[in-house]
Amino acid sequence: MSNTSKEPNAMTQLFRTFFGKHWPVWVGGIVLGTLNVLLFAIRSPWGASGGFNNWGENLMSSTGLMGLENVTPVNMSLYGMLAILIIIGSFVGALFSKEFALRIPPKGELIKGLIGGALMAVGATVGIGCTIGSFFSGVPALSGGAIIFTIGLFLGVIIALRYLMWEMEAFPGWSTGKSYNFLSAGTKSGNWQIYTGWLVVIAVIALAWSYADANPTMAWFITIGGLMGLISQRSRFCIVKAFRDPFMTGESQGAVGVIAGLLIGLFGFTAIKVFGIGAGEVGMRAREMTWVFPHFWARAIVGGFIFGLGMTVAGGCAVGTLWRVGEGQVKLWMAAIGFLIVSPISSKFIAPAFESILPHQMKFKSFLPDYIGYGGAFILVLGLLLAWYSFVKWNERTGKFSAF
Amino acid sequence: MEITETLDCKGLSCPMPMMKLSKAMKKLKSGDILEMLGTDPGTKADLPAWCEKTGNELLEQEEIEGGVTRMVIKKK
Repeated sequence: MSNTSKEPNAMTQLFRTFFGKHWPVWVGGIVLGTLNVLLFAIRSPWGASGGFNNWGENLMSSTGLMGLENVTPVNMSLYGMLAILIIIGSFVGALFSKEFALRIPPKGELIKGLIGGALMAVGATVGIGCTIGSFFSGVPALSGGAIIFTIGLFLGVIIALRYLMWEMEAFPGWSTGKSYNFLSAGTKSGNWQIYTGWLVVIAVIALAWSYADANPTMAWFITIGGLMGLISQRSRFCIVKAFRDPFMTGESQGAVGVIAGLLIGLFGFTAIKVFGIGAGEVGMRAREMTWVFPHFWARAIVGGFIFGLGMTVAGGCAVGTLWRVGEGQVKLWMAAIGFLIVSPISSKFIAPAFESILPHQMKFKSFLPDYIGYGGAFILVLGLLLAWYSFVKWNERTGKFSAF
Repeated sequence: MEITETLDCKGLSCPMPMMKLSKAMKKLKSGDILEMLGTDPGTKADLPAWCEKTGNELLEQEEIEGGVTRMVIKKK
C-alpha cells in the first residue's frame, strides 16, 4: 500500500477544515455580518431577544398566567424560529466537531446563569433590543440609540466583571463544587455525534422545505438561523467576550471578530437603506428607519447597562446564550430560562413603567443620517469601529486596562 | 515533572476557567507547574493565546476521559 491511500479524500478534508479546529473569530464575524445583511435584504436584520420574548409569551399564554392574547405561535414567528434554529445549528456544529456534552456546573453557577438571564431580559425590554438587535444590527443600521446602548453595555460589563472578580476572592465556593459531564465524545470514540449531526441537518432541511411554498421568508430565516448557530459555535463568536476580554486578559480576538462583522454590516445596511432595497409596500422612510428604535437616549443607556451586567454574569449574551445552549452548557440553559420567563413580565410591567416616567426627549428614534447625512453617519460609525479596534490592539500590547 | 497545583474547572464555562487560572497562577512561583482540568471547549483556544501573551509556557494539552481537557502550564 502506498502512503497516498491513507490521505483522506477531498470531502473528508473539507469536513475537517470546518470541524477539525475552531475558526478564527474574525472569520465567524465576517460570515455572520454577511448573513445579517442577507436577512435585512430579505426582510429585517438579525435580532435575538425578540425570539426569547416570543418563547416566553407562548409559555405564559399556555399557562394563562398573564392574560396574554394574540400571541404569535413560535412556528409562525420569524424571530422565534430564528432563535431556535441558532440553537439547532450550534448543536450540529458541536456534534460534527465532537464537542457536544451536557456540562452541568456547580450550583452557584446555575443560579448565576438564571440571574444573568433575567437581567438580560430586563435590559432587552427596557433598552429595546439586545447585543444583536441594538448593537450588532443597530450600529450598522446607523441608529444613534444603538451607539448609546453600546456605551451602556460597556459600563455594565466593566462593573459586572469587577463583581465576578470580587466574588471569586470573597466567595470562591460559589463557582466550585460538584460538576457533571454527560454524553461527551473522546478523540477515538463518540462517532455517534457525527451521525446524529447528519440526522439533524436532514431534519432542518425538511423543516425549511415544509415552509418553502407558503412562507418562503420563514424558509430563509430557518436556513440562515441554522447557519448562524453553526458558525457562532465553530468560531465561538461571543459579544460578551468582545466587550469583556480587553478588560480581563487583555485579549483582543473576540473584539476584532465583532468589529469585522459590524464592518460588513455597515456596508450592507447602508446600501440597503440608501437605495431603499426591499422597500416595496412599506415605503422608503420605513425601510430607512428599520432597526432604529425609540430608545435614544435614556432607555438605551439604562437598558444597555442592565443587559451588560446580565450577559457578563451569565457568560453569554443573547446569541452567545443560544449557541452555548446547543453545545450543552447547562449554565446557559438556566440563562435562557431566566431570559424567556422574565422577558414577557418585564415587557408588560417594567419597561412600560420606566417609559411612563421619561419625557419624550429621552426616548425618541435617532437616525444618524437625519442629522449628518448618510456620508457623515457612515464615516462616524466607521471611525468608531477603527477607534475601538485601535484601543483593543493597543491595550493588548500594553495591558493598561486589563485586570490580569 | 512535578505538578505544584491542580485546578479543577470541570463544568465551568467562560469566563470562569480563565479567571480562576489567572488567580491560581498569581500565587505560584516562577517555574511552578499548574495542571488544569476543564470541559469548556473555549478554554482550548483561550488558554494557549493567554500563555503566548503572558509568557507562561503551555507544556501539555490532551483530551482525557469523560470529555475533560488537561492542560499543563509552567509559570514564567
